Amino acid sequence: MAINENKIYSPREKIVKNVGKGLAYNIMYKLITILLAGTVWYIASWRLNSDLLLPSPFTTARAFLNAITDEVVLKNISITMVRVFKGFGLSMAIGVPLGFLMGFSKIANNILGTLIDSIRQVPIMAWVPLTIIWLGLGDGPTIFLITMSGIFPVILNTITGVQNISKDYYNAAKTMGASRWSILKDIVVPATLPDIMVGARLAMSLGWMSVI
Amino acid sequence: MRLEINDISKSFINNGETHQVLKDISFTIEEGEFVTLLGPSGCGKTTLLTIIAGFQQAEEGEIVLNDKKVVAPGPDRGFVFQNYALFPWKTVRENILYPMKQLKVPKAEREKRLEELLKMAQLEGKGSLYPHQLSGGMKQRTAVIRALASRPQVLLMDEPLGAVDFQMRKDLQEQLEAMWIKDRTTVIMVTHDVDEAVYMSDRVILMSNEQGKILADLSIPLERPRDREGKKYTMYKQQLMDLLGNKTIKKKETIYQVV
Ligand SMILES: Nc1ncnc2c1ncn2[C@@H]1O[C@H](COP(=O)(O)OP(=O)(O)O)[C@@H](O)[C@H]1O
Ligand SMILES: [Mg+2]
Repeated sequence: MAINENKIYSPREKIVKNVGKGLAYNIMYKLITILLAGTVWYIASWRLNSDLLLPSPFTTARAFLNAITDEVVLKNISITMVRVFKGFGLSMAIGVPLGFLMGFSKIANNILGTLIDSIRQVPIMAWVPLTIIWLGLGDGPTIFLITMSGIFPVILNTITGVQNISKDYYNAAKTMGASRWSILKDIVVPATLPDIMVGARLAMSLGWMSVI
Repeated sequence: MRLEINDISKSFINNGETHQVLKDISFTIEEGEFVTLLGPSGCGKTTLLTIIAGFQQAEEGEIVLNDKKVVAPGPDRGFVFQNYALFPWKTVRENILYPMKQLKVPKAEREKRLEELLKMAQLEGKGSLYPHQLSGGMKQRTAVIRALASRPQVLLMDEPLGAVDFQMRKDLQEQLEAMWIKDRTTVIMVTHDVDEAVYMSDRVILMSNEQGKILADLSIPLERPRDREGKKYTMYKQQLMDLLGNKTIKKKETIYQVV
């Protein structure tokens, strides 16, 4: 009985190997990008020679250093960060369950899908006056906008994740005597997780973009 | 264990055309048999196997396991999928423990059974690997022992070696046979490979492409492990190929390899 198997890396070996390599390359590529962009920027500002039109990278860096050591600016940054996290949390907390519901139920998908598609068309800035009326001036409107911009990618990716689960996984679990609860917890959630993460990443970056 | 397949009929409608895949299929499987469903691609083997598993329902007829009618999938019928369907987010160990946890097998017993199964499949020490880290053969053996973990009455396998290349296939047939000799669970295996059917089975049920019927039900009482060059072995193969040839000669694509 011949077993012919290639060398197999343990999970740990594999992770260490790939992460180590990936990280070094990543840093290298990022440095190259920064250097290139910086050079172009510097040459452009030197030719223009006007701090108003285009300050040089060095002037900008100095201003940046001043800003991040300024208490007021730091306080504002932390306020923004809290808002982004709150909005992001809300879009996950609402989006993931909605995505599961719509992924499983055709009826829910048809009813909510139409509603969601029409809300999605509203430009994010069009919400501003309404939310100020609804939620007043404080944190409310900003968090609402962050939630609004993040929730759709979360919902859509969760739906895709649920719908793409192979029927074989369900059938396999059923031949193993799995309960409905276990199928949800041990099959559906882990199978959908990669797509939920894609949605979460999009929601996070859209959230940052919409605070400006 | 006694499994009855009684007058099963099933048709599909494709592009408005009704296609009768299974027509009044009947046979009975006895305890400890290794039975192969052999037939050309598209003749309805998977359809029949999944009806036995309870993944889909027949239009007519019934499946009876130990005097009880089968209506849904259950742990009394283990299933090995053509693509294995191992849970990629679980390790080999977790994949195998999962069915036992569902059946509330006590922890000590679970661990004991796990070790036993890993040993049987020559996967000792591989328990902490994830499916994507396994070779094709290791995946296949993991899928088999996962299906055996809950001690099913009958093990259903849909072309368990279908995804493996020809050279590797013979090795894996031998490994699968060795596992079965230790375990002796009743097996129904689907294949389209005549040599595989003769090598593995006590009994071959030959299905026809044309009317969704059974062409032949052939016993193969040869001793194991079998000599693929042996006289009787070749005779059985020839017999099956003749039966298939007569019925499939009109269809140009013959997928059978004469080895
Ligand atoms: N869900 C389905 N819908 C429509 N046609 C199907 C379906 N499942 C199988 N068929 C058809 O039934 C026939 C038998 O399929 P299958 O049982 O998979 O064959 P085999 O496993 O022997 O290759 C094929 O012609 C296939 O196209
Ligand atoms: Mg098939």
